[in-house]
Amino acid sequence: MNSIKAIFKKQLKDTYKNMVVLIQFFLFPVVAWVMTEMVAKSDENIPNTMFVTMMAAIFAGMGLIPLVASIIAEDRERKSLRFLVMAGVKSGAYLLGVGSVILLVSILPAFAFSFIAGYAGREFWLFTAVIMSGVAASILIGATVGIVSKNQQAATGLAMPIAMVLGFGPMIAPFNETVARIFHPFYTMQFTVVVESTYTYAWQPFAIIWANVAVLTVLFIIAYAVKGLRG
Amino acid sequence: MISVSMKNVGKSFGANKVLKDVSLETHEGEIFGMLGPSGAGKTTIINILTKQLAIDSGSIHVAAESREIGLLLEHDGLYPRLSCIDNLIVFEDIYGSPRAKTKEMLERVGLKDAANTPVHQLSKGMRQRLGLARAVLHEPKILFLDEPTSALDPVTARGIHRLIYDLRAKGSTVFLTTHNMEEATTLCERVVLLHKGTIIEQGEPKEICERHNAVKTVMDLEAVFVKLTGEGLL
Repeated sequence: MNSIKAIFKKQLKDTYKNMVVLIQFFLFPVVAWVMTEMVAKSDENIPNTMFVTMMAAIFAGMGLIPLVASIIAEDRERKSLRFLVMAGVKSGAYLLGVGSVILLVSILPAFAFSFIAGYAGREFWLFTAVIMSGVAASILIGATVGIVSKNQQAATGLAMPIAMVLGFGPMIAPFNETVARIFHPFYTMQFTVVVESTYTYAWQPFAIIWANVAVLTVLFIIAYAVKGLRG
Repeated sequence: MISVSMKNVGKSFGANKVLKDVSLETHEGEIFGMLGPSGAGKTTIINILTKQLAIDSGSIHVAAESREIGLLLEHDGLYPRLSCIDNLIVFEDIYGSPRAKTKEMLERVGLKDAANTPVHQLSKGMRQRLGLARAVLHEPKILFLDEPTSALDPVTARGIHRLIYDLRAKGSTVFLTTHNMEEATTLCERVVLLHKGTIIEQGEPKEICERHNAVKTVMDLEAVFVKLTGEGLL
């Protein structure tokens, strides 16, 4: 428990002092707000939620995956992990500490997305919960990439294509049925689905996202068992 | 009581055999030095003893759990965006050390005034001192120091030596590598001379120098090394 708390505090301070990381959490809600105000609200054919769901998918997919991967790869590359492991920090505690900070800080943009979309009451919490579930899935992908990558450069190289597929897929989906069908089982697509389903079948997107989380957890455990976290 | 031992250890990286049949022993409460030029295998030995590297042959024994070990390496692993004190607080939290101890350590390595300075703004010598403060924060049973004073001025180096003596007095074993002959001669109770992955001499500095007629006005371990290998230490 001491270790998790120590890593959590360290990561919180480090995230706060890292402008490149911090900006990722605010950039996407700001873009969503600008596009909603300037484009969606002035065009009746565009739903007010369109840019919000698009940006939420890009935030969770494109933003967070490389971010988590690079945090872990950076700690590995500069040998910080070696000192933590020597101090008795278990790899699980390290990942839990880092992941908790990302999850915690992501609550702010998740609230912002729900607010910009104009949701209130149950809808507000539902959409926020869907985004946060997606964030959990992205943390797992980022951690897996961070574990299998030798350094930060390799982590970015591997994380970016995955992030682009998961982020851009839902953007293309509204214009192409085949793409929509292909991307339906992916968690980033569920941000759009939850909006379109008008919350009648809200359990379905959650079920899909948590099925994603389960598969990603298995992948993460395999990567962790094979590569470990030794600096 | 034996603190660290290596018996007939061999290690290769591909075709490059970096350690050949290395055997050594250190005792509890001893300051033990390993001397040799770059590429001699000193850091590889530390990496093996701290279980960062596996050996190809032989056996090792370290009489401490990993969290009872202190470590200072060339790659300091410090968090560059965090301040000096915050870097130490990470480990203070892990070890459960009191905050007063963390502040005392910063003072002892001469970084009290830089406590709130981010690590990326520190000089190499200051980083080295901070790395040392982190290594000794929990009063380790065994302390591995890779070139602990290489980037320090003589006055600061003497301060570090005092810190090492204090740890030894509390029963810690100190295992250090150095290029600095004077440091090895004055600080270490026993040394090994390492050349191309092989131990070419070991014992007390004075005894080694006498054995090779290298005692002039001061003991001259470098002269011993040159005599045995035909090469300098740097």
